[in-house]
Amino acid sequence: MSAAPSTEPNAGPLLSVRGVHRSFGAGPSAVHALRDVSFDLAPGTMAALIGRSGSGKTTLLNVIGGLDRPDSGTVLVDGTDVTALDEDGLSRLRRDRVAYVFQTFGLIPVLSAAENVGAPLRLARVPAAERERRVELLLELVGLADHARQRPGELSGGQQQRVAIARALAASPRLLIADEPTGQLDAETGLSVMALLRGVVESEGVTALVSTHDPTMVALADRVIRIADGRLEGQLGEQAGGQDVT
Amino acid sequence: MRWHAALRVPDHRRALPAPHWPSVRGRARADAGPLLLAAAVVAVVTLLAGAVPPLLTATAGDAVQDAVRRSGRDSDLLVHARLERDDGVNGGRMRTPTLAEDIDDFRDRAVDALGPGLRAAMRPPVATVTSPVLKITDGSVLRTFQLAYLADDRKSGGGPHVTWIAGGPPPPSAGGVDSRAEVPYEGGKPWRVQVGLSEADAAALNVRPGARIPLADDQGNVKDVQVSGVFRATDGADPAWGLAPSLLRPVSGADGVGTTRFTGLLSRESLPDARLAFGPDDLQRTVWFAPDPGKLTWDSAHTIGAKVVALKATSGSSGAIDGSLKWETRLDDVLRNVRVQVAAASAQASVLLTGVLAAAVLVLLLAADLLVRRRAPALGAARQRGVALPDLSIELLLESAVIALSAAAAGLALARAVAPGASWAWVIPVVLAAAVAGPAFGTLAAARATRDRRVPANRSARSWARHTVRLRRAALEAAVVIAAIAAFVSLSQRGIAPAADDAAGLGLGPVGGGALPASAPALGVLAGTLVLLRLMPAGTGLALRQALRSRRPLAVFGAARAAATSARVLPLLVLVTSAALTSFALTLDATAVRGLEDGTWRTVGADARLDVLPGATASTPGLVRRVAAAPGVGQVVAAQVTDNVRFAADSLVDSRRLVVVDASAFRRLLTSTPLPDAPALARLRGTGRGDVPALVRSDDGGPPEGTRLQLLRDGAPSIRLTVVGTAPAVGDAGDVVMVDAATLAAAGMPSVPDTIWVRGPGAARAAAANAGAADVVLRDDLLRARRAAPLTSGLLRLAWASAATLLALGLLGLLLGAAASAPERWQTLTRLRTLGLRPRDARWVAAGELLPPVLVAAVGGPLLGVLLARLTLGSLSLRTLTGQAADLALVLPWWRLALVTAALLATVAVVVPAESALRRRRRLSEVLRVGDG
Repeated sequence: MSAAPSTEPNAGPLLSVRGVHRSFGAGPSAVHALRDVSFDLAPGTMAALIGRSGSGKTTLLNVIGGLDRPDSGTVLVDGTDVTALDEDGLSRLRRDRVAYVFQTFGLIPVLSAAENVGAPLRLARVPAAERERRVELLLELVGLADHARQRPGELSGGQQQRVAIARALAASPRLLIADEPTGQLDAETGLSVMALLRGVVESEGVTALVSTHDPTMVALADRVIRIADGRLEGQLGEQAGGQDVT
Repeated sequence: MRWHAALRVPDHRRALPAPHWPSVRGRARADAGPLLLAAAVVAVVTLLAGAVPPLLTATAGDAVQDAVRRSGRDSDLLVHARLERDDGVNGGRMRTPTLAEDIDDFRDRAVDALGPGLRAAMRPPVATVTSPVLKITDGSVLRTFQLAYLADDRKSGGGPHVTWIAGGPPPPSAGGVDSRAEVPYEGGKPWRVQVGLSEADAAALNVRPGARIPLADDQGNVKDVQVSGVFRATDGADPAWGLAPSLLRPVSGADGVGTTRFTGLLSRESLPDARLAFGPDDLQRTVWFAPDPGKLTWDSAHTIGAKVVALKATSGSSGAIDGSLKWETRLDDVLRNVRVQVAAASAQASVLLTGVLAAAVLVLLLAADLLVRRRAPALGAARQRGVALPDLSIELLLESAVIALSAAAAGLALARAVAPGASWAWVIPVVLAAAVAGPAFGTLAAARATRDRRVPANRSARSWARHTVRLRRAALEAAVVIAAIAAFVSLSQRGIAPAADDAAGLGLGPVGGGALPASAPALGVLAGTLVLLRLMPAGTGLALRQALRSRRPLAVFGAARAAATSARVLPLLVLVTSAALTSFALTLDATAVRGLEDGTWRTVGADARLDVLPGATASTPGLVRRVAAAPGVGQVVAAQVTDNVRFAADSLVDSRRLVVVDASAFRRLLTSTPLPDAPALARLRGTGRGDVPALVRSDDGGPPEGTRLQLLRDGAPSIRLTVVGTAPAVGDAGDVVMVDAATLAAAGMPSVPDTIWVRGPGAARAAAANAGAADVVLRDDLLRARRAAPLTSGLLRLAWASAATLLALGLLGLLLGAAASAPERWQTLTRLRTLGLRPRDARWVAAGELLPPVLVAAVGGPLLGVLLARLTLGSLSLRTLTGQAADLALVLPWWRLALVTAALLATVAVVVPAESALRRRRRLSEVLRVGDG
């Protein structure tokens, strides 16, 4: 697959998913994780992706983020067809426009909170002074300015997830994908993390797609996308493609 | 595996653990790769450790034969007994016509005394009767003469066959064969005795049959010896002639500097006359037994040695006047020396094998660690479903025991095919490690998965727990360090080889100097690696801090991964131990090889040496000219080298090798060889007044400068020498006196060169071309022979096999370590990929993680190995194999050590892209999903 599709931002939806199919295995035992999924997401939106375990939430997020490729369909992020990008193109996309927050935080244990946050900026070869300024700003944004020198092992789960969110925002992505970001946190901490996400979406102008099991988190989202058995629930009785389903 | 585990139903009523066979089979199938790898390690190490002891025993047998063969006449077993008195009825001495039969009886008596074991190892005996050495009184040159009778056990009687080319065999002198003539003890005229002469002796003496040889003994008593005939030996190579070489040709130097000895052959008929021609006790009868090397084995060598010692212990006193047997031989010394050599080689082999076993055990622990990491989720799940720990342990033990025992059986079978009688004793540690490590690690992992012990909330309790863990580790490390120190102290104090008297048995380890000293290098490497382990986190932390200051993101992530994994013990332990012990084995090999080479330089003294044949020394100057004119010859130096020359110092007289040489030329020769220079040679040029300056070398240090010696000569005044320094080594002689030829000639003793040293690329060819007049010793030939000596070649082969096995184990350890940390590394790399890291950059991060321990092993391992070789070299007694007088100098095999380093680094260079290719087969989402558990 060759690279070099257009990477110019456009004025349409920031995320456009069209007719995405993804199945695992083959033959009668094949598992259809995603079936003809289509939806759009406007810039600056925080959308909650909800559904039961095994409903296809993570697969959908992986396909959108370029961590997995669909069997068919297209995914446009900021006008770029993710499914048409090669590995280098996907790396550039993830470095510049898409960021992830994982359930297990994914921090580097021997680096301090500040160094973890600055990791994407190092990859983007941002000058040191600018990087430090940005890291300081982000840690302040997530309320961890006083913990900049602490390592992940010295932080609580909620604090680690805040560091992970700060790291995700470091390179000023256009789309933030969070897969069960509160999955390993207690309810109160989880709520505060979701509130933080809500806040950074507004302050940073980023579009966020957050998967969650917890209905209480849903209240913080602008939009809710339900998925069940690999299909968007809204598609069951409404028109297919192009329209957001709530 | 999980499927089978899910089906099991825990039965809490059982008293004994009961394995769940489907789970056992499922686990084995799922992890067939690591299990087969462990089995391969066990099989290979078992093959090596099982085959070495019997191979060593076989080599020891070869070494015994080789040592006896090389010792030549020194190993001959001689038995003497006085001749019975020959008093006649009239108060005189009576001719004994049956003397030859008496000699045969004496020989048979000696054969009986040997006993069956010793007799079976000996060639047919030869009895000799020899007269005192007489002087030939008709010339200015000192020539000596002896009478000898040889009688082997051939049916025909007498000695080796000869052909009489002039005259005939010596007849009885008077009165016929059966004459019982009687002569007075004193005052009678010399009794005539007839002898035969070889062609060479007759020509040198210029005599024909019927001629009388003018002879007198030390007291000037004239002897009447007549030549009956001139003979030619039917088989000049018959060993019997070796008992009196001067029977076949003149031998120079046998009776002192400048002497030439001739010997006349007595017959059965003339032997009784010879008895009367000399004093009653002047003739010496001896039976010679030469050991047959082909019949000696390592086992028989010990009993033969003991029997020889017993015979010597029962020898009659030399002053006894009866006919009791007096035994004389150096065979017991030769056998004791070879026992010491074999014991040293055995101990050296045990050092190498201990290293291989230590590395193998560590690799098996690492393999078990990898296996348990792969199985940890399934084992935890099984526990959570209620499977009892004893059940799990038994299942894991059954699996690993079957694997370990099968592999060990296969290895032993191969070892038996290679060397019958393969030993299993050395295999035990490896089999135990293979059988127990996996179950132990697995049980611990399963127990941890369901342990309800939580991290204490109390900070001091957490701190105490941390301290306890640190204390345990420190105690373990201290135990290893103390064991290493004890092993080194034991090695340096006792040495690796047992004392000569303790070297009776052959075995690896306990017999070969003790298990503790033998494990000194392995324990030393472990102790050194523990230090490196302590330094690793600090080193990687420093590297990380440096990387964080740089603008290279890949350096940061690579250093971060390295720092995160720097505390892993087993991978570094395996890598450094293997690299260090590989380097140790290679260094020992290189040092031994260089020692052999240096030894040949010392023995030969140049590229070639010509030992001019006795009687041909007059041609030495011409020979020197011819050799010097040959193409490719750089230097030619001639000298007179005489052994057993008597020197007097104060009131003591001892025998040394005298070397008379042009000092300047000899120094030039020395400087052109790897032999050490001897500046003291410049002091040998005398001023023409006073004592002759001499250099002296002794095993015991030698006399100090200024000591005065006297060179004793028969029939000529002694020459005074003054010690002016230490002589360079000349051949293998321990005690050497070297003087300048011109200076000695000025003092009244012109030299007769009989040794020629030749240096240069064409030396061998030039020497071989002139071999007719001299025995040629080529350094290259000698080196080949010494390298091919059984013990030496066996140990060198073992060193190479150990090095190769250790390196392979190290590389395997690297692969296992990389495989064990791969899931965690892949997770991190995948996280970094979600931050925008490119796939090709991920390789550099992976390399950054894998390289530090490999670099430490690649650099620190060889350094540690060389350091240990340096520390243990003297105690390992390598010189017993290389035949050098002093301890060997350490030789660093740079390119081989560089290959060890390169092999480790190259493996990383292969592992990283291979792992990257494997990683790219999996989508990022799969890796993240697995990592999220």
